[in-house]
Amino acid sequence: MTGSGPSVEYSRVIGFAGRRLLSAIPLLWGAATLAFILVELAPGDPFDRLREPGVSVRTATRLHEAFGTTRPFVVRYIDWLEGLIRGDLGTSWSYRQPAAGLIRDAALNTLILAGPALALQFAIGLIAGIAAARSRGGLTDRCISLLASALYSIPSYCLALPLTWFLAVRLGWLPVSQMRSIDAAALPVLARLFDAARHLALPCLALVTPSAAGIALYVRDQMRTAIDRGFVSAARSRGLGHRQAELRHALRVSLLPVTALFSVALPGILGGNVAIEVLFAWPGLGRLAYQAILARDLPLILGCTCFWSLLVVAGGLAADLLAAAIDPRAREAQT
Amino acid sequence: MSHARESMSRLRRRRPAFWAIAALVLLALLGPWIAPYPPEQQEDVAGARLLPPLTRARAIATVEQRTLIVTHLRPTREGWSFDRAGRRQTLAATDLVSDPSPRFYLLGTDTLGRDLLSRLLYGARHSIVLATLCVALALVIGLGVGAAAGLAGGLWDETLMRGVEIVMSIPRLLLVLVCAALFRPSNFVLLVVLGCTTWTGLARLVRAETLSFRESGPALAARAAGGSAIRLVLRHLVPHIAPVLAVFAALRVADTIVLESAISFLGLGAPPPAVSLGDVLASGREALDEAWWVATVPGVLIATMVLVVRSTARELFRLQDPPSLT
Repeated sequence: MTGSGPSVEYSRVIGFAGRRLLSAIPLLWGAATLAFILVELAPGDPFDRLREPGVSVRTATRLHEAFGTTRPFVVRYIDWLEGLIRGDLGTSWSYRQPAAGLIRDAALNTLILAGPALALQFAIGLIAGIAAARSRGGLTDRCISLLASALYSIPSYCLALPLTWFLAVRLGWLPVSQMRSIDAAALPVLARLFDAARHLALPCLALVTPSAAGIALYVRDQMRTAIDRGFVSAARSRGLGHRQAELRHALRVSLLPVTALFSVALPGILGGNVAIEVLFAWPGLGRLAYQAILARDLPLILGCTCFWSLLVVAGGLAADLLAAAIDPRAREAQT
Repeated sequence: MSHARESMSRLRRRRPAFWAIAALVLLALLGPWIAPYPPEQQEDVAGARLLPPLTRARAIATVEQRTLIVTHLRPTREGWSFDRAGRRQTLAATDLVSDPSPRFYLLGTDTLGRDLLSRLLYGARHSIVLATLCVALALVIGLGVGAAAGLAGGLWDETLMRGVEIVMSIPRLLLVLVCAALFRPSNFVLLVVLGCTTWTGLARLVRAETLSFRESGPALAARAAGGSAIRLVLRHLVPHIAPVLAVFAALRVADTIVLESAISFLGLGAPPPAVSLGDVLASGREALDEAWWVATVPGVLIATMVLVVRSTARELFRLQDPPSLT
């Protein structure tokens, strides 16, 4: 630590954050443009599915005019980009509602699923990883490593099916899909919460298990490396207890790469795991994007893509800031 | 070159990972010959529907030119009696065209009466081949972009790496789904889309390696001798970073297997006759309340493949860098 006071440190972090935020803008613009071009390149008439077989060419032309698809590419692009800056993503073709509102509602539902899943996977992964690293080569280590290696390889949608079969179909303990029961609105508050938790359990379990296993393996490796690098021995030689030395010094060093993991996990899980949401009929962002894709609802597809890209960029940003907050070296390197 | 051979011999000493990956490659190559039945064969949809694993059945051909898949076939005084579609039935001996032929469903059948084992073998081949080709494509693009950025430097480097960041900021699954849906899904579209979304991390890696390699002895010597940039990359850079590339490629193959199955599971994969493990899984989802095996077994296979490929990547990593991971 240098002689500079905490306020100088903070202002440096803020300056660093500001620069990183600015650098995110061209990135988002590039991603949005790429998505727009991609959707434009797609062959065929997007209204084929909206049209009944007997509908005349005139009606089809009217549809095109109503949705503004007859205007030249550049005009539509600039128009769309302008709307994007204002937070207006256009009108969804299949819902006939503003796409931004649809995405906001879906994102909230995804958050209900993703929030607990994210917290659980990091809690379980960290605890298991630390436990394994501390009992290096012991029974705990071997059990956790073996189990985690096996579970880590199971994609969540593959895990979801046997889980559903066993817990929902066979035992009938949990509901098969949806976010809440049909009669949930009529229930008292506590019962409604319990109902929501029961619906949350299966998709959450399927999402958490492989990720928690992955995190556990990663934390274990990182912490073993940290212990090998002599931080613990140094702390021990300064008279710290073994437990304290391991947890305070080795863990802190090994948490750094884990923040990077967090940034990778964040957009994936916030953006919604498409397969899991479709499988459990969870009305989140992943399912919305999937339905938009099936219906060739171009404004909604573009909206979802941009929102998702925003999450990815924000995740990277959050990870960098987190790293800068934890590790002075990262701060130095970036400034 | 001798470095690669040494690595191979060291890999061979790591028995489990080596045998597992060899088995996987064999599975990919020999699947169609091992498969007991054609993957699309539907002899008798009602009779063969959702037979549990280890079912011994018989196929009988009737004079009405139908094939019946039956179990518990027994001769009676008038002809034959058997179980079919959950009911005990009888048939006169004169209604049979030929002798019953055996059918053995090791892993059971799916909702359309197709042999699950055969479908899985074809599906595994599809996954492995597609994932390998995708990663090969990604290697070419990633190597090209990364080496170009690293060697050219300056504005080129800046522009290319910005492009990489942009592609990275669009989520891969969404990009692949959009492309698969907007362009008519086919193996080719899947290959191109998966390949073109896999190369970004690789390009970054190659760029970083190129930057450190550029100033090293062999690179300076090659440039002093007047070799072209392409020659420098292919003859000197690639062998130099081959071990890192191998680890990266193995990890990407595992990812791509998962992603490809997810896409087919969502119904946007290659259409039949291509058999993907995701398709099999999706058919298992429809029959979840009747048959556990159709939904479970493909998942186990996908997980095993991912595990094997990832362990190989880990072994490859350990070969280069033994002390850091023990």
